[in-house]
Amino acid sequence: MKKLLLFLIIALSVTSAGAQFTRAKLQATGLTCAMCSNAVNKALQKVSFVETVKSDIKNSAFTIVFKPNTRVEIDDLKDAVEDAGFSIGTLQLTGTFSDLKIEKDQHVKIGDENFHFLNGDSQVLNGEQSLTIADRNFVTEKQFKKYSSATKMSCMQTGKAASCCVKDGIAAGERVYHVTM
Amino acid sequence: MTGRLCFKPINMINRKIFFLFFLSIFFLHEADAQPRQGDMAADISLPSVTGDTLHLSSLKGKIVLLDFWASWCGPCRVANRGLTKIYDKFGGKGFEIYSVSLDAEKEDWVKAIKKDKISWQQVIDPGGWETPTAQRWGIYALPTSYLIDREGRLIAMDLAGKELEKALKQLIDK
Repeated sequence: MKKLLLFLIIALSVTSAGAQFTRAKLQATGLTCAMCSNAVNKALQKVSFVETVKSDIKNSAFTIVFKPNTRVEIDDLKDAVEDAGFSIGTLQLTGTFSDLKIEKDQHVKIGDENFHFLNGDSQVLNGEQSLTIADRNFVTEKQFKKYSSATKMSCMQTGKAASCCVKDGIAAGERVYHVTM
Repeated sequence: MTGRLCFKPINMINRKIFFLFFLSIFFLHEADAQPRQGDMAADISLPSVTGDTLHLSSLKGKIVLLDFWASWCGPCRVANRGLTKIYDKFGGKGFEIYSVSLDAEKEDWVKAIKKDKISWQQVIDPGGWETPTAQRWGIYALPTSYLIDREGRLIAMDLAGKELEKALKQLIDK
């Protein structure tokens, strides 16, 4: 009975962790036509948690499917694109959410990662939802300026938790991803 | 005794596996490697707009520009303008262009041919980087082109504009 209880507690704590990202849509930009090179495609395929990459020519984007139950380290996608000689124009992550409470300009933990929601009303996310990363080097410089006006917290500029984030239970120095709905 | 009997067949199998392993590495490597200057051009047989199969090898005896492109590739469309000028100038002098499109949709390809007023040979291997022709030729960026001499040998890569014109003049006068 004790074992069963323990199992239930673990099972519940896992499901209440909030969300699992399943796929992403990524647009790359650069001095030359990003879709005209296979380099981005190849680089993304080499990322450890990526299962498949497909070029969506019509939308000049890459459709990325993640391996199930694998930690998605979003910065790895950015590094892959940059190593291929391009940069990210937009990155939209899609995942399945269960009872994830979010509040505007507040931090929340999704899986092992910290997220800072820049817009949207206070709400509980359920089912399939998409988030767009608004951090520096995940959007164009112009868009970053627009997004970063949404918060006064210093983590927006650095992508790292500072004293502003500690009240939400995040240690200083931890990576914080800024997202919009 | 049985131990000895068993030993030999396993050894044989191991050798075979090793041989196949090395053979496959060799071929996998070959499939990925980009053809080099001096190599003989591997034949390409793909459908034209009308559905007829056009063979690259049927152009032997002519100087050929083998060109890989796609309708969605902006730089390729710009390059088409340059190629049109070159084709107008050298098309009747034993020079031909053989363009391979990697478009996924045949419609997009046909539309682009019309829009760019292309009159040289056009074939399609639909589906992008993973198509057999793109893999065989190690295509990793568009546009990519090879200049092939009358004997079917690859003599230059990615020539355009004045450089291509200069090379063609030299080859035609040869």
